[in-house]
Amino acid sequence: MAEDLVLDTAIRDWVLIPLSVVMVLIGILRYFVSKLMRSSQVPDPKIVKEGQVIVRARNLRAGANFIPPKSFRSRRVYFSNEENGLLFVPKGQAQNAQAQMFSDPNMAMDMMKKNLSMIIPQTLTFAWVNFFFSGFVAAKIPFPLTQRFRSMLQNGIDLSTVDVSYVSSRSWYFLNLFGLRGLFSLILGEENATDDTQRMMQMSGFGFDPTKSLGAEKDGLDIVQHEWALPKFEHRAEAVLKKLIR
Amino acid sequence: MVSKTEETQLNRLENQVDNGGGGAWEYLCLVRKLKVRRSEKVLKHGLSILNDPKKRSALGPEEWTLYEQVAIAAMDCQCLDVAKDCIKVLQKKFPESKRVGRLEGMLLEAKGSWAEAEKAYSSLLEDNPLDQVIQKRRVAMAKAQGNISGAIECLNKYLEIFMADHDAWRELAEIYVSLQMYKQAAFCYEELILSQPTVPLYHLAYADVLYTLGGLENLQTAKKYYASTIDLTGGKNTRALLGICLCTSAIAQLSKGRNKEDKESPELQSLAATALEKDYKQRASDKLGLLTSALRSLKI
Repeated sequence: MAEDLVLDTAIRDWVLIPLSVVMVLIGILRYFVSKLMRSSQVPDPKIVKEGQVIVRARNLRAGANFIPPKSFRSRRVYFSNEENGLLFVPKGQAQNAQAQMFSDPNMAMDMMKKNLSMIIPQTLTFAWVNFFFSGFVAAKIPFPLTQRFRSMLQNGIDLSTVDVSYVSSRSWYFLNLFGLRGLFSLILGEENATDDTQRMMQMSGFGFDPTKSLGAEKDGLDIVQHEWALPKFEHRAEAVLKKLIR
Repeated sequence: MVSKTEETQLNRLENQVDNGGGGAWEYLCLVRKLKVRRSEKVLKHGLSILNDPKKRSALGPEEWTLYEQVAIAAMDCQCLDVAKDCIKVLQKKFPESKRVGRLEGMLLEAKGSWAEAEKAYSSLLEDNPLDQVIQKRRVAMAKAQGNISGAIECLNKYLEIFMADHDAWRELAEIYVSLQMYKQAAFCYEELILSQPTVPLYHLAYADVLYTLGGLENLQTAKKYYASTIDLTGGKNTRALLGICLCTSAIAQLSKGRNKEDKESPELQSLAATALEKDYKQRASDKLGLLTSALRSLKI
């Protein structure tokens, strides 16, 4: 049965190779298109500042014990007082921050561009593969596999009798879609590889609300117990010197 | 901060390149990565690559990075013609690039035409007001012109937004020390200690500033920071050891009249003194006399 299945060489010439070549070419095309559409965005000073405030406040929290109590207290007041502290967010402002982010047309535009350059070619190629090559057994891998691989390798063929080591054309498309990253990084250079997973990570970063982390940082700072570490250092220095002299 | 292993690696590579052992490109990459300032070497080896068409084309797109690196190094060495050539090549390749615009501004700055450089920088800042490099260049320019108060103003403005940039805090601290504004400098050093609590140099500098400020409380704090420096350096820092001795004697003088609630370890000073003597004996035995007389004059 499975051993009897002989693949026509025409399938190799007209399905397997064209499919791979088209996938590579589309990947390269996508790279250049996205490069064309990339707009250098000017970051909002307020957001940059908020990020920096958070870093500095975190430093203060982590290193609090290394500065004298007076300095620590003045810094804490500077960060978290209820009038104009850097970490203090007025109540009304907290809510519309996100709305404002969505209403910013530039941001939406950017996201659209990213989406377009990612989704459109994918749907098009998928439709193309489906239309022309549906149901083809395009290749055979030279080792046997267990039944579990059937959904991965034989997408589009609903025959349970075909040996799992045969790859359907649609599955070949998927394998190419996810497996060509290494090739792209060779062709386009290390960082330029169009990485879908990375893009998705960036997407999920959108919608992050800085005011929330400001508030969290403020709470963290408020409960820090300041215990000056320096008096301990005198004893430690003594111990170090004793060892050194001996 | 450059770690010790990185530095030895860098020195080894530099040695190798200097003696014609190849690896110039790796050396230049490492210099770029560690952001160290070895402009003369960079200029020499970078130019030798750039002047060799075969080697240059082997770099591929990295060629332009090298042009930038060499241009900056050339400006540092006052080889303005070389820098000009490099920038011209870059300009041809990337017209309208802001990064090249920055280099042109730096070239003007290196020539000393401050007004033009300022104009170039401010036009670049208009496009991107958050360009950190350009803002720092402006500070450097103000400093180079001797306009220290202007530099402080620029730095403060910069730090208002980029308040987590510890290099800027360090620069500000050093400027304040040079102007003898020790209270402000102390604040900056506190900020540095917060951002990198394990760097002994900041502890030491902070202690120095506190000692200079004087006053019983500051002196006691200074002594603690000298002690932490000793702890962090393993007792290898001579300045910190001397600082302990000076602080102890100053504290003793100030608190002479008052009741002596000396809960602080009196032992530390004698230990520091012995460590100093031992260190001098090992490394500079001819100066041992100076040290002992100096220490004796501090003795209470």
